[in-house]
Amino acid sequence: MKKKKALLKLGLDSQLYQYLLVVVVISFTTIVCIPLSSPQSYHIISFILFFVVALLAVFLGIGPVLLASTLSAVVWNFFFIPPYHTFNIAATEDKLMFGSFFIIALLNGVLTNRVRRKEILVREREDQTNALFQLTGELSKVSGIERVQKVAREVFKKHFAGNLHFILQDGNNKLIKPPEEENINSEVHLDYDLASEVFDKSEKDCKAKNNASESDMIYYPLTGIRLNPGVIVFNMENLEFRKKDTFWTTYFTQISNALEREFLGELAIKARILAESDKLYKTLFNLISHEFRIPLATIMGASDTLLTSRTSLKNKMDLYNEIFKASERLNHLIENLLNMSRLESGKISLHPDWCDINDLINKVTNNLREELVNYVFIKKIPDDLPLVRLDFVLMEQVLYNLILNSCQYAPISSEIRFEVLYENGNLLFKLSDNGTGFPEDAIPKVFDKFFRVKESKAGGLGLGLSIVKGIIESHKGTVKVRNRNGGGAEFTISLPTDIMSLEQLNVE
Amino acid sequence: MTEKDIILVIDDEIQIRRLLGITLDSQNYKTYFACDGKEGLVAAATFHPSLILLDLGLPDIDGQELIIKLREWYKKPLIVLSVRKSEEEIIQALENGANDFLTKPFRSGELIARIRAAIRNSQEKEESPLLNFGSLSIDMINHVVRKNGEIIKLTATEFSLLALLAKNNSRVLTHQVILKEIWGYGYHEQTQYLRVFVAQLRKKIEDNPASPSLLVTESGIGYRFGN
Repeated sequence: MKKKKALLKLGLDSQLYQYLLVVVVISFTTIVCIPLSSPQSYHIISFILFFVVALLAVFLGIGPVLLASTLSAVVWNFFFIPPYHTFNIAATEDKLMFGSFFIIALLNGVLTNRVRRKEILVREREDQTNALFQLTGELSKVSGIERVQKVAREVFKKHFAGNLHFILQDGNNKLIKPPEEENINSEVHLDYDLASEVFDKSEKDCKAKNNASESDMIYYPLTGIRLNPGVIVFNMENLEFRKKDTFWTTYFTQISNALEREFLGELAIKARILAESDKLYKTLFNLISHEFRIPLATIMGASDTLLTSRTSLKNKMDLYNEIFKASERLNHLIENLLNMSRLESGKISLHPDWCDINDLINKVTNNLREELVNYVFIKKIPDDLPLVRLDFVLMEQVLYNLILNSCQYAPISSEIRFEVLYENGNLLFKLSDNGTGFPEDAIPKVFDKFFRVKESKAGGLGLGLSIVKGIIESHKGTVKVRNRNGGGAEFTISLPTDIMSLEQLNVE
Repeated sequence: MTEKDIILVIDDEIQIRRLLGITLDSQNYKTYFACDGKEGLVAAATFHPSLILLDLGLPDIDGQELIIKLREWYKKPLIVLSVRKSEEEIIQALENGANDFLTKPFRSGELIARIRAAIRNSQEKEESPLLNFGSLSIDMINHVVRKNGEIIKLTATEFSLLALLAKNNSRVLTHQVILKEIWGYGYHEQTQYLRVFVAQLRKKIEDNPASPSLLVTESGIGYRFGN
């Protein structure tokens, strides 16, 4: 409050200075003009005085200008119109001249002053428009609640040299309390209770609060159409808040709208994620219960028959076989689920070691020999393939899943071709089959979790290829699939890897 | 086999114990059971089993610790059953003194074969100088290897690798163990040498090197010899 008084005093003082300045300037002009005084030249001197008054009107307020015109009329009369040094005017035309001088000086001063005030007003308005324009422009460029706040703060600071503070709501129409430490550290203390009050009322009513720091803080509610983003708090030391109410309403509505937009955006994203995870959850449970039930039903049915009814030895052996197959299938399901969850949780760590690719592939094909018996499996591995640095166990799983996948989709006794290449620091595996390939729209989803081609004959959880992708990516490699021109699918794995050629080893 | 071999099963799962009981009984083994580590230690000391089947996930004592405790005095074969397919865990168990491992679920046939091989190896009192594996015979004294009666030329390293694996017939040898034995301590992480020699050796001794039946790869762990 003290400060405000001081400001007022300074304003008055400057008024006083203006009057003084008028007296000084007019006196000075008079002194300068006295030597020029002659009965012929006093008209010219009137023009000089007009000019000075007009000049003063450009810089000074209406009061001093009035003083200047009166003073210059009096001075002209007293010093320059004959008879000199009296207020009497001898000639009638000089009396008229004096009258018109007084009126013209007055009009001149007042009009110039009015033009000047208009100009100031126009400039102010232009400033406001500019400020709004910039704010809207900057806000439209950013996204994210944090960014919107930052931009609003910067723009406000640039135009009004003040600080903006935000207290936003948490999404449930309750303001988030600013952390205590932050409140203590920053130069302004935000009053949470006052902000809540302003927020709850949500009227376009701002509250000023006298703070210990002697500056008036204004709490202004940010209102929106569908939700109210929060409360804005700012310091109004240099700003005349009340006077430009419509301007500020527009200004803060811009900020409010931008924040509301971001709030709604975030809510929409959250809702979508929730819906997606819900959908995934349902798919997963349907799939798992279905996939597990089939082998379980086989085991239960077969063992029940074995326990309760008399069957031939051949039938018995068949039932035993079915039980065994069903349990293998269950085991495979569990392995895939476990591997997927280990990959997802990042618990799989790589143990790269020098590998003999031949050994790797032999191991996989031996494990899959029962499946591969039905196909023509052709492998092409260069004789001079160097040792490569890979995680043997994980790569074994990749190739197992990939070849098993081909076995499930390719027609019986068709050709499955497996090729290994080493090119430009990358190890390439190519696996192609002569099946039907993938429907074009399925290709981008082939490696998605729980994705299965519709109406596919093969069961399973749709995890095999996702595991392939996960492992390959953990090796910083890529895996792609495409349909071959001649039909069937082709998988290509590319792995960046170190190599060690046999010559390098210098063995006996 | 005049007297039945005794096998001790330490596993906390009743269903697994029942299954192993039936399976082992059908193979004429006498089986004792323990359902946790403490019981297992007592039973091992009481019955002096010819072989112990040990589950790593016991409720009271950590499986690895139990192996170390048993190995303080128990010299006969110890086979680890593990639910988790973790190579680190298996390597650790083998280093602590387990002879072999199987991951649950396993095939009973596989289990019986491992048990037989382990017991047979432990009962061989003297190392025979002549080892036979199907069509392959290894003369340990004269360093001569024959396949189908014909002499195969092996380099010195190839022979020591073959000899090491053959002596530990049916047992998994980890990469580290093999490298230390054959190349020495400085080489225990130089698996590249091992890869090359295994590939060379397979070409010479296997009937079908692409589907090895003698020198089998145990992914991420090591190699096993014998069929």
